[in-house]
Amino acid sequence: MSRFLFVVPPFTGHVNPTIGVALELRARGHDVAWAGVPGATEALLPEGSTFLSAVPDEVAAYVAEAGERRDDARGAAGFKFLQEEVLLPLAEHMVDGVDAAIDAFGADVLIVDQQALGGAVVARRRGIPWATSATTSAELVDPLAALPKVAEDMHRRRVDLQRAHGVPAEVAEAGDLRLSPQVVLAYTVEELTGSLAGTPAGEVPVRFVGPCAVGRPEPTDFPWERLSEDPAVPNVLVSLGTLNAEVGERFWLAAAEAFADQPWVGVFVAPDHLVPDPPPNVIVARRVPQLELLPRVRAVVSHAGHNTVCETLAAGRPLVVAPIRDDQPVVADQVVRAGAAVRVKFARVRADALRTAVDQALTDPGLLAAAERIQASFAAAGGPAGAADALEALVPVT
Amino acid sequence: MPETVTPESVLAELETILTEVIGDDLLLDGPLTMETSFDQDLQLESIEFVALSEKLLETYGEQVDFVGWLAEMELDDIIALTVGQLVDFVASNASSASSTSGREA
Repeated sequence: MSRFLFVVPPFTGHVNPTIGVALELRARGHDVAWAGVPGATEALLPEGSTFLSAVPDEVAAYVAEAGERRDDARGAAGFKFLQEEVLLPLAEHMVDGVDAAIDAFGADVLIVDQQALGGAVVARRRGIPWATSATTSAELVDPLAALPKVAEDMHRRRVDLQRAHGVPAEVAEAGDLRLSPQVVLAYTVEELTGSLAGTPAGEVPVRFVGPCAVGRPEPTDFPWERLSEDPAVPNVLVSLGTLNAEVGERFWLAAAEAFADQPWVGVFVAPDHLVPDPPPNVIVARRVPQLELLPRVRAVVSHAGHNTVCETLAAGRPLVVAPIRDDQPVVADQVVRAGAAVRVKFARVRADALRTAVDQALTDPGLLAAAERIQASFAAAGGPAGAADALEALVPVT
Repeated sequence: MPETVTPESVLAELETILTEVIGDDLLLDGPLTMETSFDQDLQLESIEFVALSEKLLETYGEQVDFVGWLAEMELDDIIALTVGQLVDFVASNASSASSTSGREA
């Protein structure tokens, strides 16, 4: 029996995939725990999970507040804000807390999210085996390849972070803090990412395990009776993810107009006030049991968050993607190239364009075939069991 | 390559190119100007930068090295990048190349 500690940021998409892996490890007789930001992270974990706070409450409050301030920042400005105002300060403030959590829990192996790099700093400093949890494939595919000066600046900051916390220079300078040289768990498949040869991730062992978000807690209340049972009237899920629903004011209005009078039932994951006058064939809900819902829908309109895309493809359903920011344009690009999605522009989306895209997602046999092909390769990728195998291999032999 | 490359002709050409890259709703928010920013105003994504660079290459040839120009930029340069800067870059590189080829002719 060994002890595995997951170090995570307080973001739904980064916690969810760890849950399936953790449940598998626990089923094999291991102990698992999570270290991260109190409140936001704990709420995402299954009941009875062990959670160790890695930051003081004021840091948790700061991260929550920064998340709200960030709503207007997209594109390069959004990237700068996320790195400088959220992720680097979070990494900085998590170092001592992760250090204490390792002692309290007795961790043998750390699994460190690419957006919780404080864990990687401690693993390197203490020489503890660690895996990278690449909860979005965007960090794997070297999105800054065309901007070498920006990439170098980011790398320099991660080196400085390590040096400030006692990692020896030769260790800090080596490799990439976002990519453990021991193993990188990628919750996707190579059909989506493309070859990693020639990228930084091509230098480390990457284990493609496919989606692992099974067993995560979901809200139970949903008006199931309002879904269509008629195959001629397909259900369509429309979700901008947990962090972005509020920035979608214009999007939700266009979506409501696009769905009006169509032979579809829409499930809009949105706050009521952003869909003030939904057409009768649209259900508006703030949270939905997405995993339970996916088998009942025929297509998904999404912001191209990595988890929603992967969960949709795991159900073999095509997508309409409208990426908003961060890694989403990269993820959207991957799934469009794989042939399983139609892309629309989030910032300027219009009802007619969205209606056409949804219609295509529902009727184009090529999109469905590609979605089912990826579904099959997900199923063959190993999932939580494959991830657990890779993590067990990191346990030091005593 | 267009016969005469002036800032005005480049701006007009860029409006055509960006309409192809982004879609015809580019101009919903008003005409493209020298002050229009790529990040804040156009919200140009990385994939669209790639498409833009391909179209610039088709239109102006290799002497307008857009990719090399971007690669020299820091993050704050990317955030602040305006249509005007790109127009000036294209106009100066394309015209110096055309005057070179003019001398050779």
